[in-house]
Amino acid sequence: MAHFIAVSKRPSSILPFLLPSWSESTVSIQQRNQSSYRRTTQRLRLKPDSSFGLSTDQIYDHIIHNPPSSAPSVYHTPTKFLPPGDVRSTLRAGTSVPNSEALPTLFKSDTTKKYHLKQSDIEEIRRLRLSDPMSWSRWKLAKRFECSPLFIAMVCEASPEKKEIQKKVLEAVQSRWGIKRRIAREDRQLRKETWGRE
Amino acid sequence: MKRLQLQQWSGSALSPRARPACGRLLYAGLRRQTTVSSTTTDAAPAADAGVATSRQLAQAPVLAASSQMSRRLLPSPPVEAARESAKLAALHARLYLPSRFPLETLARTLVHASADPNADFNNQSLATLGDDLLAYYATEHLLCTYPRLPLTVVFAAMYAYVGKKTLAAMAREWGVELAAAPGGEVDPGLLQFHRITPGTSLNTGPITGTTRPNDDRTSWRRGMTSRVVYDDHFGEPTMAPGATQQSTSNITPTVTAEEASATFVRAIMGAIYLHAGRPAAKRFFSQHFLSRHLNISELFNFSQPARDLSRLCAREGFESPVAKIISETGRKSRHPVFVVGIFSGKDKLGEGAGSSLLEARSRAAVAALKGWYLYSPLDVRVPSSMEEDGAAPWKPVYIDPGEVVV
Repeated sequence: MAHFIAVSKRPSSILPFLLPSWSESTVSIQQRNQSSYRRTTQRLRLKPDSSFGLSTDQIYDHIIHNPPSSAPSVYHTPTKFLPPGDVRSTLRAGTSVPNSEALPTLFKSDTTKKYHLKQSDIEEIRRLRLSDPMSWSRWKLAKRFECSPLFIAMVCEASPEKKEIQKKVLEAVQSRWGIKRRIAREDRQLRKETWGRE
Repeated sequence: MKRLQLQQWSGSALSPRARPACGRLLYAGLRRQTTVSSTTTDAAPAADAGVATSRQLAQAPVLAASSQMSRRLLPSPPVEAARESAKLAALHARLYLPSRFPLETLARTLVHASADPNADFNNQSLATLGDDLLAYYATEHLLCTYPRLPLTVVFAAMYAYVGKKTLAAMAREWGVELAAAPGGEVDPGLLQFHRITPGTSLNTGPITGTTRPNDDRTSWRRGMTSRVVYDDHFGEPTMAPGATQQSTSNITPTVTAEEASATFVRAIMGAIYLHAGRPAAKRFFSQHFLSRHLNISELFNFSQPARDLSRLCAREGFESPVAKIISETGRKSRHPVFVVGIFSGKDKLGEGAGSSLLEARSRAAVAALKGWYLYSPLDVRVPSSMEEDGAAPWKPVYIDPGEVVV
């Protein structure tokens, strides 16, 4: 019923099937004629970029170099990587370097190393992880000692029981995956391997 | 076809009996090799039994009318058959070989050791020389042009320049056709070798009998640095000479078409060096080998590029690398694109684009590492350029401390 009300609000001219058959000749059927086609092409006709045009003072006296945006070539050695005796470092000395200070970093947290942990702290990390591996995971230890989980993995290793439990948990999770999820995860891993190759 | 000027051929390489103008070319000299001195050929070097019998038969006073019959008894075409082959002359002209390079030697380069075990008539010695020359020229080009390349990439690039597959492809591009089976009656313009039996497995487990110590311990790791010391120029283990002789003594050796074609190309290189000298050999190498395009930046494969770059900056005393977002679009859409640059201090080391921040950072680190490893000096000179007349005094090439070891 609500559907009928909604339909009846519209003007009947755009819904020709609601009208009786004798009024069919009066309904204007929308079609593309030449004027609308011309309007469409006129809108699609973009002006070329200003760098393509010839300047008035230098006609045919310069090379138009307008390359598409692309990654810089790996054969172009960065200035910092040039050895001391290379001529290119002096040649590039005058070129302006874009300010990298203003650019945002990749991650919000600061990843610079602090080197603040002492030997006693490391002993404490090892003791905690061995004594109660379920509550003291790598992430919790990293948060408490303000270091990275990678550092926790470097200084200590999980007990074999904890590894066994974790393996079973992983198997239980993976057993619930269907074929699509499994394939998608394998594809993601394969794509990740191409990062270092291309 | 290119005209062959017979009088310009070097007399030192061509023995007088092999010259077509010489009247005393009889069957006694049927198997005289051009590159062997006359005293050696007269002594008739002892080979295995089959060849010895064929030579005795060939030295029998038969007339030229039955030459086709006696040729069938030879393992490879006789020397003077090279003059009659149109294929050989065409190949000589097509490769634009120097005129001092005789057709007889070209015919000899087409005979693999599996077809004719006699070392005076097969291309084994020429191929050994040519292999060393190819390895030397390719190595000096790689090490002087890209002095910072890691060892794995050097090995891969060497294989791409002068490896077996490349040489076989070159022989195919040169239009060298393969003989179905070797024999004395075969056209000497065809590559002659004993084909391996179809269905033979080429990967026969771990290789033993190499020159490496403890090669029976198959589970031991073959490190990259040990490959420089023990292995060949592709980082593959070389077979000890005693082991190969034992395996080939009782049965007829058979090779793949790829191996035979590669041996032919190596033999051509060695023969050019012998007949036309070092400049011609080097010109041949630059025209046929260095002219093949090889994109070295595609040979890299990094597993942990960000860590490697961090270690590199620590080793060289640069500020530690920091990844920063240069530009991005569609962060919350299905297809975002991030452009991440890796900066050390104020200098940009590399730049990469990816559909996630981690991918873009990883690609940027890869670009920075490739920028380090693919450094090339401006005026590259190789040591063999000192052999030219009037060469400028030698300046030492740039040598790098080595790749990043994590």
